This record gives sequence, C-alpha cells and structure tokens, in this order.
Amino acid sequence: MKTIEWGLLIVNYLFLGGLSAGLFFVSALATYLRNREDTKDSRIARLGALMAPWPVMLGCLLLVFDLGHWYRAYKLYLHFRWMSPMSIGSWLLVAFTLVSLLYCFAWLEEPQRNQLFAFVPTRLNFLHTFNSDLSRYRRQLAAIGFPISIGVGIYTGVLLGAVQSRPFWNTNLVAQLFLFSALSTGSAALIIALLWGRKTIEFEEIRLLYTLDICFLTLEFFVVLPYIIHGKLSVQAVQDSLKLILGGPFTLVFWVFFLGLGLLVPLAIETWEVLPTLWSKASVHFNKVWAATAALLVLMGGFLLRYIFVYAGQMSAFK
Amino acid sequence: MSTHSKRYALVIDSKKCIDCKACVVACRAENGVPLTKSRNWINEEHRGTWPKLLAAFEPEQCHHCADPACVRVCPTGASYQRADGVVVIDDVQCIGCRYCVIACPYDARFFREDRGVVEKCDLCARRIDRGDMPACVETCPSKVRVFGDLNDPDGKLTELLEKREYRVKKPEAGTGPQIYYLI
Repeated sequence: MKTIEWGLLIVNYLFLGGLSAGLFFVSALATYLRNREDTKDSRIARLGALMAPWPVMLGCLLLVFDLGHWYRAYKLYLHFRWMSPMSIGSWLLVAFTLVSLLYCFAWLEEPQRNQLFAFVPTRLNFLHTFNSDLSRYRRQLAAIGFPISIGVGIYTGVLLGAVQSRPFWNTNLVAQLFLFSALSTGSAALIIALLWGRKTIEFEEIRLLYTLDICFLTLEFFVVLPYIIHGKLSVQAVQDSLKLILGGPFTLVFWVFFLGLGLLVPLAIETWEVLPTLWSKASVHFNKVWAATAALLVLMGGFLLRYIFVYAGQMSAFK
Repeated sequence: MSTHSKRYALVIDSKKCIDCKACVVACRAENGVPLTKSRNWINEEHRGTWPKLLAAFEPEQCHHCADPACVRVCPTGASYQRADGVVVIDDVQCIGCRYCVIACPYDARFFREDRGVVEKCDLCARRIDRGDMPACVETCPSKVRVFGDLNDPDGKLTELLEKREYRVKKPEAGTGPQIYYLI
C-alpha cells in the first residue's frame, strides 16, 4: 500500500535542521576569518552564533511530534545503529544542539548572560557558577562544531539518499544537494538578520555573506545538473522517477519555484550586487530591497527543495 | 528433529489464484488488522479486449528479504530478522518514525495510527512457532501458497524450486526477497 508517510513536519524539520547547520557553519567561518588583532567582534559570527541553535531545536520538536509515540523518542538514544542514517542523525542532532548552544552562550555579552541567569530561581543558586565568560573559547567551539554542522547538513540528505527502494533519492548527490542548500539558507538568513538590525551594514560583512552564498548556490546548481543528467543516464527505475520533475506533478515547482526563483534568480541578484568589486575597489551595489529579496528567495528555494524531495521521493518506486 | 538452521519462505503459484481474498480475510482475523489496512493483498492485472483477455492475480505480502532494507534503516532495532529469516517488529521498541515503511521496496508495511506503530506480515510468527501454518497459507482454497523451510533438503520448497521455474519480485532493489513466484 503506497502512502505518503513523511509530510510537512518532516519537510520543515529538514529545512530547519539545514538552516541551523548553515548558520553555525557561516558563523564559525567568520570566527576563523577574523584576525586575532581585530578588537571588534564579527557581527556575522555573533548573529550566526545567537541564531544557530533555535531552528534545529524547533525542527527536532517537529520530528518528535511526527513519531507514532512522541514519548518514545528517548528510545533513539538507547541504541546506536550505524547502518541506520536516522540513528546516526539523531546522535548528530544532540551533539550539534549541545555544541551550538555552548557556542551561542560563548557569544553572549556579560549583561545578556546576567539577564539570562536572573531567571534562575534562588533554590538553584549553584547554577550561577556556570555564568562564566566563554568568549575565549569561541574558536575552539567553532572548530568542534564545524564538522558536526556539516554532518547535520549532509545527514538530512543521506537520510533520504540511503533508501535503496526510492529511485528518486537513491544517489549520494542528494546529500551534497542538501548540504549546499543548507549552507546557502544559513548565509541567506544572516543577510536578513543584518538587514533587520538597525546598525549600518559594513561593506566587508555583506560582501562575505554574498560571496559565501554565491559559492553555495553555485555548488548547489552544479549538483542539481549532474543529479538530472546522471538520473537520465541511469537505470530505468531512476529514469522513470525523474519523470516526477520532468513532466510529472513536481515539474512546475522544481523548475520555476525551486531552480528558477529559489536558486538562479537569487544567484543572479547576488552576483550583480558584488559585481562592482570585480572591477575596482568600489563597494558592492547593496540595494537593501534586492538583498532582502535574494535572501528570502534562497530560503524559499531551500524549503521547496526539501518539499520536492520528500514528497517526490516517496512517490517513486521500482516497478 | 533436524539440526539444520531454518530459513522460512513462501512459494506462490500465482496461476492458481482465483482472487477470492480468503487469505486477506484470514490474515485480518488472525492478526487483528483494521479494515483500512492490509498485511497481504492481491495484485490484479487485466489485459486485452474481448475475446483476447488476460486476468492475472498475484498474492503479495512482506517478502522477508535476506537483506531487509527495513531492518537496516530502523533506528531502534525494533525491526529485526529472526534466525529463521522471518522479519518481525518489536512493538515496544517501535517509535513510529515510519522510515521502514518508506524503505520497503514492496510497500509491505503500514503505519497503524491507532497504535502508533508500524505493522506488517510476520508469517504468523506465533502460529509457525507452535508448528502451524500461517493463516493465509492454511486458508487458501486453491493452495496457491506453500510455506516451508528452504534449508530442508527434503522439504516442499526445495522440491518446488528444483523442479519449477520461478522468479522473485524487484530483485534490482537488492534486498534479496524470499517469496518465490512459480512461473
């Protein structure tokens, strides 16, 4: 009996998990790229660190409520099954959430920390010993979290790709696709966060985010292409499954809304924005409306990618 | 008592199937399967125009694969394979993530919303453990299904598979299905 088992809860979780991975990755990168002599903190690193833990935690909540028995979720942690991507992923998620929370804490200013600890009831006063400045460990935490964030970003694709019975999923390109899309949504979310803030955005900040996003989107594009080409050159079942996006029910959403509006259009906008830096030392164009449009489109594309893959994959099968 | 390890499997002679669905009903009664779901089913194929017609019926259920994808993807080990090859689900360990439902190339599994767990054919494990036949096998009026031990050199399965041509479904999925369809 063919049914769609994984629906919008899972789509949202895959998106949110990827978003967190991307936020952490970009933040960690910004932490590294900062010179030790710089006295000013990188705003991208700070914003990324402060934002990273929350989407994945919300996503995990969705994941738990998707289970037949939400209260049995703990059983995932009574076992480790290395052949099951879901088992590996559930452990990765815990590691990532812990590291990203710690990293987030390390980026809090002292008044913010004090505000946070003001919530601690007097009976639990011993908790105040944890109110310490971890800012000197930011680089180390970023280093630990680096591979874990990549792991979380890529695992969401492996979760689908490692299912041999669904030809639409069964290629490791899905893992790369989800990873690059995750990193790209992370940098797009940071562009929005920068625009949201009242402070003026510095040239170097926006250039870094644009450059990263252009890299990630280009990588993603050059995974989408081989995904389709290899699929068309693969066995019959894979060729048939590709019909879902080549004339089938997901054609419009894949080509127009994901690949067009969600990938190529923001790529074009961002490329146009940084174009002046190629010819001279001139600043980026930096039109706020274009920047926000590109970032929102990237987020939409990231969401739609997961939507298409989750649903189309479950509809594909060996005949 | 033989000492060899058992490997239970089914041989299905589809040509004998008359689509009476007694197997589906028997399974439902034996295993308490709700009316909206089914642990076994009959594929139908209709071809041609009168008078050149074909109506073919082919019963199907969990293939109790040699290398089951459902068992591999299960994050808690709730889906597991017994030493005799039967793939079963431990209700208590199942968290209802439905990864196995998606991973099964035969769509032989379903999610029971009322119980929050995944179910499928277990070859009537309770019955075969006490020496009975699975309910679908016992009830079939035209003797389509043959249940037995593949490792028994004198068994019915060995004899049928030595004498008759057979096929398995979707071998390209790579899970090593263990329902043998006689041709």
